[in-house]
Amino acid sequence: MTDKTFEFTRRTFLDRVLMASAGGVMATATPWAAIAARAESAGAGKVRLGVIGTGDRGRALIQNIAKTRNCTVAAICDNYAPHLAKARQWVAAGTAEFSDHRKMLEARGLDAVVIATPLHRHAQHTFDAMDAGLHVWCEKAMARTIADCGAMVERARTCGKVLQIGHQRMFHPTYLNAWRRVKAGEIGTVTQIRASWHRNNAWRRPVPADSDDRRINWRLYRESSAGLMTELATHQLQVGNWFLDAVPTRVIGSGSICFWKDGREVYDHVALIYEYAGGRKLIYTSLLNNARYGCEEQIQGSKGTIEPELGRIYQEVPPRSLALQRMQADVKRGHKRTIPIGGATWFPELPVTTPGESLGWGEYDETMLQFEGFGEAVRSGKPLPGLLQQAYNASVASLLGEQAMDRGEAVAWPTSLVTV
Amino acid sequence: MGTRVELYRFGDGAADALALAQRAIEQVDDALTIHRPSAATALNEALRRGETGVIDDPLLLDALIRIDDARAMTERLFDPTVDMRRATVRWERLRFDRSAATLACDAPAALDFGGFGKGYALDRAVTALRDAGVACALLSAGESSMAVIGEHPLGGAWSFAVPDPRDADRTLVEVALIDEALSISSTLGLGLAAPERAAMVRPGRSAAVVAPRSAVVVDASGAVAEMLSTALIVADDEAAQRLQDGVRRMLFDLAPAAPTRIFA
Ligand SMILES: NC(=O)c1ccc[n+]([C@@H]2O[C@H](COP(=O)([O-])OP(=O)(O)OC[C@H]3O[C@@H](n4cnc5c(N)ncnc54)[C@H](O)[C@@H]3O)[C@@H](O)[C@H]2O)c1
Repeated sequence: MTDKTFEFTRRTFLDRVLMASAGGVMATATPWAAIAARAESAGAGKVRLGVIGTGDRGRALIQNIAKTRNCTVAAICDNYAPHLAKARQWVAAGTAEFSDHRKMLEARGLDAVVIATPLHRHAQHTFDAMDAGLHVWCEKAMARTIADCGAMVERARTCGKVLQIGHQRMFHPTYLNAWRRVKAGEIGTVTQIRASWHRNNAWRRPVPADSDDRRINWRLYRESSAGLMTELATHQLQVGNWFLDAVPTRVIGSGSICFWKDGREVYDHVALIYEYAGGRKLIYTSLLNNARYGCEEQIQGSKGTIEPELGRIYQEVPPRSLALQRMQADVKRGHKRTIPIGGATWFPELPVTTPGESLGWGEYDETMLQFEGFGEAVRSGKPLPGLLQQAYNASVASLLGEQAMDRGEAVAWPTSLVTV
Repeated sequence: MGTRVELYRFGDGAADALALAQRAIEQVDDALTIHRPSAATALNEALRRGETGVIDDPLLLDALIRIDDARAMTERLFDPTVDMRRATVRWERLRFDRSAATLACDAPAALDFGGFGKGYALDRAVTALRDAGVACALLSAGESSMAVIGEHPLGGAWSFAVPDPRDADRTLVEVALIDEALSISSTLGLGLAAPERAAMVRPGRSAAVVAPRSAVVVDASGAVAEMLSTALIVADDEAAQRLQDGVRRMLFDLAPAAPTRIFA
């Protein structure tokens, strides 16, 4: 994408978000997106970010931050030198570098910290940053334990700092439009979401000679990760809660190390049912040896289905009205003939393969937009409304799913959660 | 409504006639739906608890009276009662007090207005259109329930081709309507049941009807046409013969072994 087309895409998307916000529903119901879309160029007053963790994700974040109007990367930190070196190309020459995040915090000169370290480090890095008086943007999932997720929320409150978690789907134009269309009743009553993240690879990274498996492949070890649940499912559980406008009442699940018996500790195959009030369900599967169904959330209503990853909406009953409409046209031109009607025709109950329609609102860089939103939050000192609640619920849901699978029993939604 | 409703009007009548007709259909749906809280679900809740249900929704009361009145006509084969335990509770076991507007049952029961609701909704919409001065219109609910007001805009009857459920490209029968309603019900073995179609249960038996059948009924009332087409689907051969009045009601039996067409 050239700079010019990027500017154009930015404008058209932001206009759509703003237009929808002006209509009322989006402004009150998805205020975070409206605020982010209104972000202005900050010139010299850009929010100065220090990035902790310049691995795969951290470097992608740095590139996205560079595109924002109101944020800049002022320092980078990683305790693994080769990753710090790889990040260097994406930041301005002379940007401060650290191997210890505490040194970066002590050096000052930052407004906020971006955390893209392994899951089990998120809580400590958040506490340290907030204790140093900084706002925090942290990657999902929030933390390795439900207690730590709650402690992060509490710490943000006591320190009076913004805590924003990286759930970029909440800034994705297609998701925002899907949400708007669900609220408008276009797919009827939503009773089920079937979500999956299926890959066909080991999910294992090559380990350089100067590192070790636990550090590089932290996602495969229980100490540092809940595997598929915290790394992948969190995103989709967030979408589920958001579209069902609730948190689950309980979860049942089954997890196994089924295909990649390579010494990993986390499941490579999970299947769970999250129950919601009124009998609604989110049915979730994630596995690592078949990619046909990929990553998707099928939002299923009585009148239609939305598949936001594909960006499509499908009508439940394919419009069969053509015969009657043709009758109307016939009458206009003075022509009378027998009207063929659908009647009570039946057909085998095979999956419906109608192509559906595009959801609209197209491509846009949601990861960039969430930083523009964060920049506004830091500048005003006020968190983007609604975001942290969604993130907290999604992280709790993913960790609760892990518990349900480990214990082999249904686990109720905790009553002891902190209030956001 | 879960079904696609289409309304077409021609000629004279009030400008807001279609809106009034649409409202009439929505009111029926609001009263009879079992997919969200409604007068019908409130009544079902009371029946499930073994309490006397008070029917304070006039549309629901009117619907129950029509169903009650149609018992003899359908040989008691159209029955909105869902037995909560075994297939022993039928409409007759319910105590329906029209003047007090109550319904009670000594066993857990529930009502399902499928097989009545679409035709009834079209009846109400037809009345709304006529009241608004419309003399020519076509109404369709999912294309298996149709109603027409007056003659075709170009004169003469409205003519519809009903497809053969086994082969949608073939026509089973052509039907001509003037000021009438049409209802089509079909079943063709459970394995091939249409997506929108619940299994039909013959009242008094718990097994679903599996014989492939299609019934096409024409009547002045959409509700009556629908109750009759549902009854024909679940009728045994003798009952089906009795239900036939030789003029307006038709049954096509599609069992491979049976003659293709019992009635015409
Ligand atoms: N939102 C998304 O779509 C998305 C996508 C991918 C990853 N993530 C999240 O980003 C986070 C990082 O994932 P990743 O794939 O980049 O992992 P990674 O292993 O590639 O990167 C983590 C980096 O943190 C560094 N690190 C570890 N401990 C540190 C410490 N104490 N101080 C400083 N640096 C330290 C590591 O050296 C490494 O470079 C995870 O929470 C993951 O869930 C989010």
